[in-house]
Amino acid sequence: MNEIPVVAHKCKNCGKIHYPFHDRCMNCKAREFEATKLEGNAKLLTFTQIFNLPWGFDQRFLIIGVAEFENGVKAMGQIAADSIDGLSLGMKMKALWKPVRVQAGEKVYGLMFEPIQ
Amino acid sequence: MRDVAIIGAGMIPFGRRDEDGLMDMLAYSSLNALDDAGLGDKSVDAVYVASMGAGILQHQTAVASALVDRLSLLPAAAEMIENGPASGGSAVKMGLLAVASGYYDTVLVVGGEKMRDVTGWRATDFVATLTHPLAEYIYGVTLPGMAGMFTRLYMEKYGVTREHLVQVAIKNQKMGALNPYAHVEMIITQEGIMDSPHSVVNNPPVADPLRLYDACPVSDGAAAVVLCPLDMVKNAKKPPILIAGFGQATDTHTLQEREDPTDLKAVTLAAKQALEMAKLKPSDIHVAELHDAFTILEIAESEHVGFFKKGEGGKAVAEGKTQLGGTIPINVSGGLKARGHPVGATGVAQVVETVWQLRHEVGKERQVKGAKTGLTVNFGGFGNNVVAFALKRVNQ
Repeated sequence: MNEIPVVAHKCKNCGKIHYPFHDRCMNCKAREFEATKLEGNAKLLTFTQIFNLPWGFDQRFLIIGVAEFENGVKAMGQIAADSIDGLSLGMKMKALWKPVRVQAGEKVYGLMFEPIQ
Repeated sequence: MRDVAIIGAGMIPFGRRDEDGLMDMLAYSSLNALDDAGLGDKSVDAVYVASMGAGILQHQTAVASALVDRLSLLPAAAEMIENGPASGGSAVKMGLLAVASGYYDTVLVVGGEKMRDVTGWRATDFVATLTHPLAEYIYGVTLPGMAGMFTRLYMEKYGVTREHLVQVAIKNQKMGALNPYAHVEMIITQEGIMDSPHSVVNNPPVADPLRLYDACPVSDGAAAVVLCPLDMVKNAKKPPILIAGFGQATDTHTLQEREDPTDLKAVTLAAKQALEMAKLKPSDIHVAELHDAFTILEIAESEHVGFFKKGEGGKAVAEGKTQLGGTIPINVSGGLKARGHPVGATGVAQVVETVWQLRHEVGKERQVKGAKTGLTVNFGGFGNNVVAFALKRVNQ
């Protein structure tokens, strides 16, 4: 896996993992968190293929999903696939850090999941 | 706290209104509501205006201040409410609290949206700005995309089928065809959007597993109500409609942080609060306006508000329980699916439609016979901010 700068936030009091950031723990309201990297591969929790894209995307469709990493962090990302035909709930995905869109001429990087065959 | 009644309700037909700007639509629906209340030449104490997109789509801010001036309602207090697709419900709630508290006696609440000023790309992007900027929006996720991911999970967990979704679309477009305020007035069939070979073209995928006819249209429109204390309503020509209960609840910004993403906790809580305040059970409700921005949401919300057990909403639609004449008629206006979804208007439009139903004014083709109680659910974000109202007809 290339280096992914996404950081999850583990509550120092109760251990609950948050992503994205919350100023207080959703469980115990504590305010101290430990930065936690995404670990290992991810399990695909849900996905969709979007055909009516928002402004800013010059392509036919996007495949987007939510996956859970081995340390419990759940995150949305794009899925690198030609169609959703080969995707299924629970399948293993490899996470990469790749350009996910272009804004004001600049590439914006984000999570890209690749199905593990 | 004082009991609060709706004494005026007004709407303009939703759809593509190229000839009208946002301010025109807000003004026309406001005048309709004021006239309906018998206050066409009178003042009000305060005006609450709901719009999610005026600042983005029309590049116009302080719309409430502009509206009171346009309607010659000066020096009424004026407030703008932006709360995503729940803006309309929130505005009604703000008006309700202002009257219930005793601070204001007569309040106008109006919600509107002008979404067809921009291309579909821009409108889709505008609505997507309610998602988390870093954890969701950057990936290009849209509201149909969120609904698609939710639908996949709901189908997997509860056995909702494509046929169930299609039945919601058919029912709501059938009712929309009878509603002069609806954006879409076209009857569809299961053959046309599911069974025939042409259905692939007629009903293409939008956000798998959702297809075109699972989604509401992008609409222009506005709706308004006038509120006052129930005990100040004297010799009304039309029965006042009591806002017997309201509820509002929130949930996590991102879908992924919900322990069970199929559990719409904010819907359950908001409806429970509204019904308890009104001293009603789900089975006491005669007519409901649920936020069917996507067909799956009508099914899921019908379960979360307590009309059906989890997993039975889809079957209930297929068995006709939610159609006119069924055990609990849902979205006999056509819902967002057919009336349309000008986002800031929707929460108010649901209340207006329910007022008309409880006054028995919609005409026999759409009227729920003898309706005396109604429930509305306005679903903001993807279920992260939900406003519900329980309404009752008051016979004077």
